[in-house]
Amino acid sequence: MNAPLPPLVTEQKHSTGWQASLNLRVERRGNRSALTHNLHNGPLRVQKALHPEGDDVCQILILHPPAGIAGGDQLRIALEVGNNAHAQITTPGAGKWYRSLGPTANQRIHLDVAENAVLEWLPQEVIVFDRAIADTETTVTLAAGAKAIGWDIVCLGRTASGESFRQGTYRQSFRLQRPDGSPIWRETMNLQGSDAAMSSKLGLADHTVFGTLWLAGIKPDAALLEALRGLSISQGTCGISALPDVTAVRLVSNSSEAARKYFEAVWAIARMHILQRGAITPRIWRT
Amino acid sequence: MNPSLIRLLHLASPALPVGAFSYSQGLEWVVESGSITTEAAAKQWISDALHFALARCEAPALIALMRAWSSEDKAEIKRLNVEFISTRETSEIRAESLQMGYSLARLLRDLDDMPSSYREALGEMSEIAFPTAWAAAAATWQLGEHDAATSYLWAWLENQVMAAVKLVPLGQTAGQRMLAALATDLPQLANDAIARAAENNWENFTPGMTLASSLHETQYTRLFRS
Repeated sequence: MNAPLPPLVTEQKHSTGWQASLNLRVERRGNRSALTHNLHNGPLRVQKALHPEGDDVCQILILHPPAGIAGGDQLRIALEVGNNAHAQITTPGAGKWYRSLGPTANQRIHLDVAENAVLEWLPQEVIVFDRAIADTETTVTLAAGAKAIGWDIVCLGRTASGESFRQGTYRQSFRLQRPDGSPIWRETMNLQGSDAAMSSKLGLADHTVFGTLWLAGIKPDAALLEALRGLSISQGTCGISALPDVTAVRLVSNSSEAARKYFEAVWAIARMHILQRGAITPRIWRT
Repeated sequence: MNPSLIRLLHLASPALPVGAFSYSQGLEWVVESGSITTEAAAKQWISDALHFALARCEAPALIALMRAWSSEDKAEIKRLNVEFISTRETSEIRAESLQMGYSLARLLRDLDDMPSSYREALGEMSEIAFPTAWAAAAATWQLGEHDAATSYLWAWLENQVMAAVKLVPLGQTAGQRMLAALATDLPQLANDAIARAAENNWENFTPGMTLASSLHETQYTRLFRS
């Protein structure tokens, strides 16, 4: 019998899974948005902090070396974007929630956007393996004048290899709030494998990919809505609605590629309209 | 007879002047887009809305709010009111709850048996969700949680079935058949809602309905406001 391979990362594995945390702060220093605080614990870290469009915008690639989150793992990400700073976060590849033998894999993300700061939260899609037991919560706190553009794209099952999400649990919660904790918008799902909501027309209507893109900290804007409604998704259904402080764009599809292309197009228009910046596609997305 | 029965019938009545009849919650779009064309498909949509939307978020919020009104915890009422409003997925679904909430709150403030502390709390909220106002009435009249949740779900169901009768369209008999069949689920759904009353158990993930509601905003001809 072969001995198990040693782990590739040096951190000690917690008895029931990896504990990893990343605490980041991006601050405005003169004309520059700088990564001024970067503390990691366990297998979760900044791969690169770049300025691909000049000093104004700090682009950060967050790397989770194990590539996927397994049962018992606990990941914590906390990011503060200081007054007037601009941070753009993405990941080098698709996230994965692995099959669990029982324990829940758990992720908590806190994104604090200070006064007049800008956050772009653009992780690549996540794939939920069959029998994964996952619980992920994202809280975005927006101060006065802060703006945030973000998305989540979720693929249920490794559909490319014929797998569907038949067993397991995927709980995802998103909360957009003000600094005093009062909510602007919240969305919580708790999907069981083979949940009736997966086939219901009112639910996923048998789609395996779903996503939400949020434009937060902006009032309903007729010109922006009209421009965004001119876009279409190549496969699936998309829709847009403007709530008082957040405009939400949603999709269901069977293609993560179609989902991503659509959201990239929405992002490009929204970025120009809201931030007066052309979309410069992070190079890591094309590698 | 039980005087609270009359109160329940009153609150669940389609004659309650809150304009419930003018909302379809995305049903108008799924009919228009050809996704729902039959009695069976309409029944499935409405049943799924009861199970995945009403019983997982709106009815649990109603119960949580009834408890807050009963204990006259004004801060908690206001907090739960905004928490519930923040679960509304689209501008039309949000506007529906706020318009109905506003109308009901105005009505309640004119009723003699509404305690002055309740009147005051209603007056202090700039936006009032429908379950917030409904819960104020239910708490005033000391209705049981299960009876209140069942009645709330019944009122919603009756309204949705009437919308389906107009939109699909269906005959009145088909509508009554659907009501009778779906009503049998309500007591269990009321139990589910009570078990889920704590705010961190509310779930609002109904992408098909949310997309239908989003697309309804730009639908060319419309009978309904959502």
